[in-house]
Amino acid sequence: MEFNRVVGTRRSIRFFKSWRPVERSKIQVMFEAANRASRSMNADYFRAIAVNRDDLDAETRDALRNPTTTADLDLAPTYIFWYIDLDYVAGAQDRLKELVDQHALPAAHGWSKAYVDDFLWPQVLEPISKDLNAVIFMGAVETGIAICNAINAAVDQGLGTCMHAFTANDKIKPLLGVPDTWLPVWLQLVGYPAEEPEAGGQRPRRPLSTLFFEGSCDHPWDEDPDVTEQLTREGMIQEPGPFPYRAQEVRMLSRMYGLPE
Amino acid sequence: MTGAPDVGHDATTPPQPAGAAEGSGRADPFDGSPAVRRWLDQAGDRGTAERMGDVTLLRRFCAAEQTTPDELVARCLRSTKSGDTAISAAGRRAADQAITAFAAAEGLSGREAIVLGNRLRSFLIHNGIFLQGPASIL
Repeated sequence: MEFNRVVGTRRSIRFFKSWRPVERSKIQVMFEAANRASRSMNADYFRAIAVNRDDLDAETRDALRNPTTTADLDLAPTYIFWYIDLDYVAGAQDRLKELVDQHALPAAHGWSKAYVDDFLWPQVLEPISKDLNAVIFMGAVETGIAICNAINAAVDQGLGTCMHAFTANDKIKPLLGVPDTWLPVWLQLVGYPAEEPEAGGQRPRRPLSTLFFEGSCDHPWDEDPDVTEQLTREGMIQEPGPFPYRAQEVRMLSRMYGLPE
Repeated sequence: MTGAPDVGHDATTPPQPAGAAEGSGRADPFDGSPAVRRWLDQAGDRGTAERMGDVTLLRRFCAAEQTTPDELVARCLRSTKSGDTAISAAGRRAADQAITAFAAAEGLSGREAIVLGNRLRSFLIHNGIFLQGPASIL
């Protein structure tokens, strides 16, 4: 799928084909996409654990459920538990010098190993590593960037995915052997959509002029209609929801799975 | 009202199951219940017969729990220190477990139990109680 269509086709999918497992190779593609994401300090901010629903015994599956996650966990054949590793700063000094060696952080932009060793590490990064609020803030931003890549990789492979609030961490942590330094951020549900991939049409979005600016906040972004037309043609901008049959689609899916209406 | 059929007294007081208040001299808690009205108004495109069946089911559940529809919703709520109303995790869990137990007590299992339980969960959901039941995936 072309990039623009991937971005435009992404939806939060909530009805999965519960009977169709996700190929391990497709999860690897998602992980590799996440691993290629932009990251400051070349740090490994995130950790993720892929779990196949049907590999879990009944006791574990029941332990993961609570009154707000039951249907989600039943329908999605694969769960990816995403975490921030709060120890991500460790090793940053060496990783940054590695980037200096690779000329990714060049002298042309002020970088040197001496700067990393003498100033950046002792005066900036090490103090940040001791400020939990800063660690969580940076970790959340950078982990989110990685997850975004994984989401788009899922869509590109014909999968549906939905980010779900991370609940029942007290139960999940010992079950999955999660270290104390991992902070839960999102539970990603993955599977083949039982609903149409368009999931009733593109979700409402506000115009670019309400979110983006040019030069200063006094000048909202003025859309070029030719670009808008191109993006529509290429699938980034799609027919808005709800499709006329969306309510019926949800109703039929709910009945198929015996869910509340 | 949002597309719901005329569900005045007829729908909120469907054919009476055992244990209903009618004829007992007590006021029927389903009559004029805001929670029942809200449910019926918002629960999608279910036909009148289905909705009446849902109300009958809710009536049986309330009888088993010795409560009223509005009290059922209230049990899932709590007051915060600032005076706001919030969902009670404990109350919601108790309601969810009571629904599961009710389906079992009805002699149902598998998909039948899931469907019946989720018909009851629909009542709480449309009254603002975020809740998920199991899906029938077998």
